[in-house]
Amino acid sequence: MPEPEKQMELLQGTLDLLILKAVSLGPLHGYGVLLRIQQISGQTLVIQQGSLYPALYRLEHQGVIASEWGESDNNRKAKFYSLTVAGKLRLSEETEKWNRMSVLMGTILLAQPEEA
Amino acid sequence: MKRLRLVLARLTAQPGSWFRAMTHRSKLESDMEAELANHIELLTADLIRAGQTPAEARRNAALSLGSPVAAKDAMRQSLGLRLWDDLAADLRYGARILLRSPGFTAIAVLSLALAIGANTTIFSLAKQVLYDRLAVPNPGNLRMLHWVGDGKEVVSSMWGDFDPGVNGTTNSSVFSYPVYLQLRAANQSLQDLLAFKEDSMNATVRGNAKRVNAAMVSGNYFAELQVPAQLGRTIQPTDDAQPGQGAVAVLSDLLWQRDFDRSPNVLGQTLKLNQAIVTIVGVAPRGFTGAKNVQTSPDLFIPLSLQPVVSPKGQNQTLLDDSGLWWLNVEGRLKPGVSNEQAQAALDVQLAAAIRATITPKAGQTLPHLVLQEGSRGLHSTDGTFRKPIYVLITFTGLVLLLACANVANLLLARGARRQREMSVRLAMGAGRARIVRQFLTESLMMAALGGSGGLLLAFLGRNILPGLLANAWDDNSLRVPFDWGVFAFTAGITVVTGLLFGLAPAWVTGRTDAGRTLQETSKTSSRRRKGFAGRAIVVFQVSLSTLLVVAAGLFLRTVVALNSVDVGFEPDHLLLFDISPPAKRYPAGQDVLLQARIERAIAAIPGVEHVSPGWVPYMASSMSNATFDPEGEPRRPKSAEDMNAVGNDFFATMHIRMVAGRDFGPQDTATSAKVAIINQSLARSRFLHGNPIGKRFQTDDGANAPWITIIGICADTRYMNLRDEPPPQFFLPFIQQKEIGTMVYQVRSQLPVDSLIPPLRRTVAAIDPDLPLVDIRTQQQQIDANMQMERTFAALTAGFGLLALCLACVGIYGVMAYSVTNRTNEIGIRLALGALPKQVLAMILREATWISLAGIVVGLGAALLLARLVKSMLYGLQPTDPVSLITGAALLVVVGIGASWLPARRAASIQPMEALRHE
Repeated sequence: MPEPEKQMELLQGTLDLLILKAVSLGPLHGYGVLLRIQQISGQTLVIQQGSLYPALYRLEHQGVIASEWGESDNNRKAKFYSLTVAGKLRLSEETEKWNRMSVLMGTILLAQPEEA
Repeated sequence: MKRLRLVLARLTAQPGSWFRAMTHRSKLESDMEAELANHIELLTADLIRAGQTPAEARRNAALSLGSPVAAKDAMRQSLGLRLWDDLAADLRYGARILLRSPGFTAIAVLSLALAIGANTTIFSLAKQVLYDRLAVPNPGNLRMLHWVGDGKEVVSSMWGDFDPGVNGTTNSSVFSYPVYLQLRAANQSLQDLLAFKEDSMNATVRGNAKRVNAAMVSGNYFAELQVPAQLGRTIQPTDDAQPGQGAVAVLSDLLWQRDFDRSPNVLGQTLKLNQAIVTIVGVAPRGFTGAKNVQTSPDLFIPLSLQPVVSPKGQNQTLLDDSGLWWLNVEGRLKPGVSNEQAQAALDVQLAAAIRATITPKAGQTLPHLVLQEGSRGLHSTDGTFRKPIYVLITFTGLVLLLACANVANLLLARGARRQREMSVRLAMGAGRARIVRQFLTESLMMAALGGSGGLLLAFLGRNILPGLLANAWDDNSLRVPFDWGVFAFTAGITVVTGLLFGLAPAWVTGRTDAGRTLQETSKTSSRRRKGFAGRAIVVFQVSLSTLLVVAAGLFLRTVVALNSVDVGFEPDHLLLFDISPPAKRYPAGQDVLLQARIERAIAAIPGVEHVSPGWVPYMASSMSNATFDPEGEPRRPKSAEDMNAVGNDFFATMHIRMVAGRDFGPQDTATSAKVAIINQSLARSRFLHGNPIGKRFQTDDGANAPWITIIGICADTRYMNLRDEPPPQFFLPFIQQKEIGTMVYQVRSQLPVDSLIPPLRRTVAAIDPDLPLVDIRTQQQQIDANMQMERTFAALTAGFGLLALCLACVGIYGVMAYSVTNRTNEIGIRLALGALPKQVLAMILREATWISLAGIVVGLGAALLLARLVKSMLYGLQPTDPVSLITGAALLVVVGIGASWLPARRAASIQPMEALRHE
């Protein structure tokens, strides 16, 4: 596994959003989701691999992703996850929320002490 | 909008996902396995590609994924399976625990089953008698018409129910037919008014003469009640159109089953009803009980137009144009949008108009006011009789259930203490407290569920016992208690509440277990710990409940004993009773007297019959008849009616009632001889203040030219309506001197066994008129027993519950003392080693048990003294503070307390000091 220079721990509650984004680009198996996230983030995000699968199951349970068994690159059976219609809605809503939140956080953190 | 769609998508996806996971569990497990394995394989391959050795790569791959067991657990949790898995594990574990101590489980489950069964039985009865509504669509908008008068109301003559209210008011639900017709025509606020009258009649069905309860109904009765026929048709307005016409009948489901075996060929057949031939045109649906009450159904329904034919009454045989006699029940459905008050106000005005149109009020007479009452349960006639007894029984069984709960809680607590180590170990290994409490509650609920199932079974098996206890020995038309979903839901409900109730305390105590301390603690800690306090408190509670129940049972038992020892004033043994009702059409006034005299003579001639006498009123049958009694020369009283009876000339010999003075009736007293009467001692005392009543004359009818009746004798006092009331003043007239007599009850004195006496009686009566049934054949003793049915049922039930309570208290005391002895083995060993005698140890344990019992008994007696006042009206011959019941109850509990702790005490006394000190 390539060692990146600077790694960041995942913020709490963001794993679901990352998974949704990852599978929105095309169906992926569990390991593929992991690789895709690391790839997009430029290898800076550390994901607890143990928590990846419970998250996938949770999202599938909620009906925002669907799974199907298929062939993986190494010609083995693998479970592929893809975004459902409800998932697309959820992704857009979560993205919007995230954007608002990050703008808000930025504004708050830039605030200067007011001169009396 | 988007949010809503998301929530909806989630709500629909989750149950499906959960269900798939539940039903394809093994596939899910292998899928998870495969997915994780795949992950590791791909990761390993990547690591090898990155330059690690295969062994190193596999190790690192496994490390970065973490524990597959934890991962799979989390995945299952994601699917919502965790809760279910835990529950299944709890259930399995609970079952193992319950099976490990079968004796404990059996006692707990059995006591719960008995208590829950008792509650279910009483509930099903209460539901039926007090809460069930008529089996018609929308019973809630039925309104029964009642009226209230101030005592001077214009209504002078009634046939039906009326209650004298407070301050001399009258409350009744009967109307005259002309008033009904006027009301029906004027009424705007209710839907069409229907009318009915239930009355018993003689019917000859397929050659068998029998007594039936027939409902005469208006033509719109079935239509307004919205009840269709299950076979054929119902009674229609056209049947009821012409007085004397419409000779059709609709059978009840019960009669159809009993006499026609549910044959569809019943339509078109005929039956004889009081000598009138009616054609069966239909069968009412099963469960329909008529509009009058919920418990029993009329056997058949006929149009009101038949009244002059089947049940002629009044001056012209017909009541359909009689304004004087009020006899008809009237009800209607509230129209939508009309309030009860509006309808009542409108009908009140219409009632006044209807009365004025049919009767001319005399001076001083007032008009009654109309009151609408809820009709969904008919006339509520059983409410007054049964409400209080049923509430008392519900309280009783509720207390028994509480007692059973306390018992099981106590047992669980003792066992929970023994399981403290197990709990400590589980806590130490990381189990959550909530998890352990839940485990305990699961066990409790399992036990409760077993008890509840047992209780339901018991109640189902015993569902006909109670109605049987409440019915007369000779009556086959008994109350039917249905076993339905309501009863099932009730049982399920109390089962869950029970499980929580007795499971909560032990779960709470256990949940507070301190892992470290309990593991260090050994049984060597010999001080009396506060731990035992909860158990003792529960036992005190149990003993006090038991005391309360035993004392109450004692009160009801002693009431029965007191009633049994009442001297009724006549000799009830070897007396057989039956009724004969000559139909008025065949035997009009005068003829009926001759008929009864003929039957009396014929029965007297039967070999083995010592005496026979017909009478108007059977004794101890809650029946009464009274008439004006105005002696000549004595002060007139405003209300001068006295209890009376019209009897045969052999009456006093038949009943073994002593003549105190004067002469008995005899053959010289005939229809044409001078009118005579006999009075009892009470009447002589209360109405003849000036000397000997014999030879004095009195009148019983109003009017100046009413005949004078001469008193020829005085007899001893007897009880009259029931066992409870003191003998009332009575007077007796020979029935042969009456103008009309109607139904009479025959009293036959014979040493013959009842079974060999009845056939010749039937033959004798049939020889006179084959259509006259012998109705309600019973012995006088059965009649007396039936009169104290309620008291006897109560005594039987409460004694049963009291016994159950004693058993539960026994188990409770035994359990807590046995546990205490086990806990104190060391202490006792030391005492013995230091020279205490086994006798002293025995006394010590017994003393402890006695103190616990005494505490409970004192509390229980206090509660009994408080609560017994509430049942004062149900007692006879004793006060609610009856010392015998209180002392016996307390003594019984002391004996039970000592008895139940005897075994543990013996065990404590026989402890070997050496073994005890080694005891770990």
